[in-house]
Amino acid sequence: MLEKGKISSAQMAFMLFAAVVGTVILSIPAISGTYAKNDVWISPIWASFAGLIAIMTAYKLQSFYPKLTIIQYAARILGPFPGKLLGLAYLLFYIVMNGHGVRIYADFIVGTTLPRTPLIILVATMILLCTLAVRGGIEGIGRAAQIIVPGYMIAFIALILLILPNCNAEHLFPILEHGLTPSLQGSIPPQGWFAEFFLISFLLPFLSDKKKAKKWSWVALITTTLTLVVTNLVILCLFGRNISSYTYPLLTATRYISLADFFENVESVITAIWVIGNFVKFSVVHYALVLGTAQWLNLSDYRPVAWPIGILTIIISFWSMPSQMALSHYTTFVFPFYSLLFQTLIPALLLLIAYIRMRDSKGDHSS
Amino acid sequence: MRNLHRLLGQSKKPYFRSVQQPSRAATTSPLSNDQQTNVETLRKIYSNSVDVVFRSFLIGGKTQATLIYIEGLSDTEEINTNLLRPLMEEFEEGLSLRQLFEKKVNISKIDALSTYEDCVEALSVGKPVLFHEGDSSGYALGLNRWDKRAIEEPEAEAGIRGPREGFTETISVSTAQLRRIIKSPALKIEPVKIGSYTQTQVLISYVEGIVDKNILEEVRTRLSRIEIDGVLESSYVEEMIEDNPFSPFPQVKTTERPDTACNAILEGRVAILTEGTPFVLIVPTTLFSLLQSQEDYYQRFLISTLIRWLRYTFVTLSMLLPSLYVAILTFHLEMVPTSLLITMSASRESVPFPALVEALLMEVTFEVLREAGVRLPKQVGAAVSIVGALVIGQAAVQAGIVSAPMVIVVAITGIASFMVPRYNIGIAFRILRFPVMFLAGALGLLGIMLGLIAILIHLCNLRSFGIPYLSPIAPFRSADLKDVAMRAPWWMMNTRPHQTEEEFNQYRQAPAQKPGPDRNK
Repeated sequence: MLEKGKISSAQMAFMLFAAVVGTVILSIPAISGTYAKNDVWISPIWASFAGLIAIMTAYKLQSFYPKLTIIQYAARILGPFPGKLLGLAYLLFYIVMNGHGVRIYADFIVGTTLPRTPLIILVATMILLCTLAVRGGIEGIGRAAQIIVPGYMIAFIALILLILPNCNAEHLFPILEHGLTPSLQGSIPPQGWFAEFFLISFLLPFLSDKKKAKKWSWVALITTTLTLVVTNLVILCLFGRNISSYTYPLLTATRYISLADFFENVESVITAIWVIGNFVKFSVVHYALVLGTAQWLNLSDYRPVAWPIGILTIIISFWSMPSQMALSHYTTFVFPFYSLLFQTLIPALLLLIAYIRMRDSKGDHSS
Repeated sequence: MRNLHRLLGQSKKPYFRSVQQPSRAATTSPLSNDQQTNVETLRKIYSNSVDVVFRSFLIGGKTQATLIYIEGLSDTEEINTNLLRPLMEEFEEGLSLRQLFEKKVNISKIDALSTYEDCVEALSVGKPVLFHEGDSSGYALGLNRWDKRAIEEPEAEAGIRGPREGFTETISVSTAQLRRIIKSPALKIEPVKIGSYTQTQVLISYVEGIVDKNILEEVRTRLSRIEIDGVLESSYVEEMIEDNPFSPFPQVKTTERPDTACNAILEGRVAILTEGTPFVLIVPTTLFSLLQSQEDYYQRFLISTLIRWLRYTFVTLSMLLPSLYVAILTFHLEMVPTSLLITMSASRESVPFPALVEALLMEVTFEVLREAGVRLPKQVGAAVSIVGALVIGQAAVQAGIVSAPMVIVVAITGIASFMVPRYNIGIAFRILRFPVMFLAGALGLLGIMLGLIAILIHLCNLRSFGIPYLSPIAPFRSADLKDVAMRAPWWMMNTRPHQTEEEFNQYRQAPAQKPGPDRNK
């Protein structure tokens, strides 16, 4: 096997939480709010079903092909050539996804705290760190996630508690004014992110305690949903139904924080914490990508491809997104469908084919 | 295990220059029957060595014998009264030398030697060697005695409460100190010789039944791999057995206190004692065990817990405080409350440097003063600190070269770095302060975060003898938190700390020993 390290189920849950919540938490109220208005807090609940499907599919496929990742079992299910082709498609999907994510991060930093820093510096330093983490193996990423994510959560809870006094629950009403449609519409972009739970298929083969895996992935899913629901709820109560006019509502919300007239203007602190969460997200995706590439090319070690793929990710983060407009358009209208296609629909089809094949081969044996 | 080849440090290149042993060919051969030949050969081996004494005499006025010893390593008075006198004067007819030793010579330890190598070894540790005519073996006499330092209070690890004795350079004294604390025969002390010229005695000590067998085996193999001219301090050994030699973080804990060493041994770690130095190595080591002080266990647990929290906070501060100052003053002025900002701006008004340069200037000066203070004799050291305090504290601020807040930051950082009970981990954090400062100057808080992430990645991948450096936090082991997140009272420390997946001797004491007036009911 390429990866000799092992992670615990809890570490996996932390990695998944960061991978999904990582980037979106700052902008989700605005993106969902465009459609959902004051039902914005319901959207993540709908969206979580995409995560549920992704996790279930990954599990089922894993039970058919234990110790393999999707890059490997695609070839088993579809045959060598179509399987490899699908594997390549997955790699391209993940590299674009990571490039896109890193670009969102860099744009955010330039837009809010460091206006005169070139984008390339931010993108390159982040990818450099991710590559270092990936070269350390899954154990290193798992441990880093185990330290970072609890801190991230504590900071999040503290932030919510500090914003809470400024909230007004009246903004919640009327609930479901126009039926379910707005909240369902608003759930489509988050569905794209929830589908990222499919990254679990790259982590499941390396668990040291497989029995607890199910429990911990539900914990991750529920925590993620809860985090996003709370975020949307608090932002809605703070700003009212016109959240979509803010690009980063959660960041704007931190300006309301004032503690003892001393602890004020903490956006930079929130940004720094957000960055560290993002690091976990990018490392997990980068790891999946690097491991997948090595498996796709039948290499004996994945570490040598970590740098080249890091550099490719940097390039793709600029190529695919010429401007912030294009970036925002991609985030809202392209990525959700792209992500759902690759992380729920195709795996589900794979599962179906695998199931049929399995049944047929069993039938052959009995006849 | 991941990176095993790196862990074991196997190099692909075979090394072509074999280590030259001093006149090895001559030493390994067995002793000859003729005592004259033996003495001549030893004379050749020890040619040009004025300190080796060859004393020939007649046992009972008849049998030719030669006594060889190294001046200063053997007790000449004892040789005169307890060896030479009985042999030369109280000789009885018809007794062999062996019988003579049994009847007349009152020396507690006499070993027969059969090869030249044994002779050289006995001589080098100060045991006089005796040859006599008609006997093919030599005799090493336990009369070694050399001047050694008395047991003193360890200077580098002072404490308020707890034993006051420290290890000394003499390894037999050190082992005795360990043995005096752990009296069980389960305490094992295994010898290894390292250094082809110094022939330094290195001892692996552990408690059988508690120690993890894989770790012990790893220690043995790593030590046996060392081929080096000489070991003058345990740091030679340390650098040869580390997991990641390029890490700024020490992967071996050093101590000069027997109680610290015994505490580690009782936790299932391995102590490596080196001849000629009071510093004992303890492996495996984690970051948190380096941040613990032995005295934490001697003070009341509530106080120790608070002190540990303070220590963790200030260790982080010693790494981050100057960077935070630079980042906030350069990029995030809005974070500073207005009144404080006005004060700070007023004091920075006349300062000609940007915050980063100011911080670097002061931090480097502080490091220089500290280092100068350590190396200087005590009398001059006071002068350095006066000059340092005046230069840094008064003159620089009055001249408007640095601002007063910067001085405060440097002072707090300096004090914070002394909160760490161990020099080698404190200096790791102090060194990392500088790259983080540059990052803070370039990218503000984001830069600090990126720096922290880089350090975290390194720490997450670092191991000490296969044990993850950040355990028990990552990988998480809730049972071991009682001695990391706090200092639990002894009646709660029921399980031993352990980091590997192996089965181990889990319980160190009986459960439910919480004391109280109702306990005997």
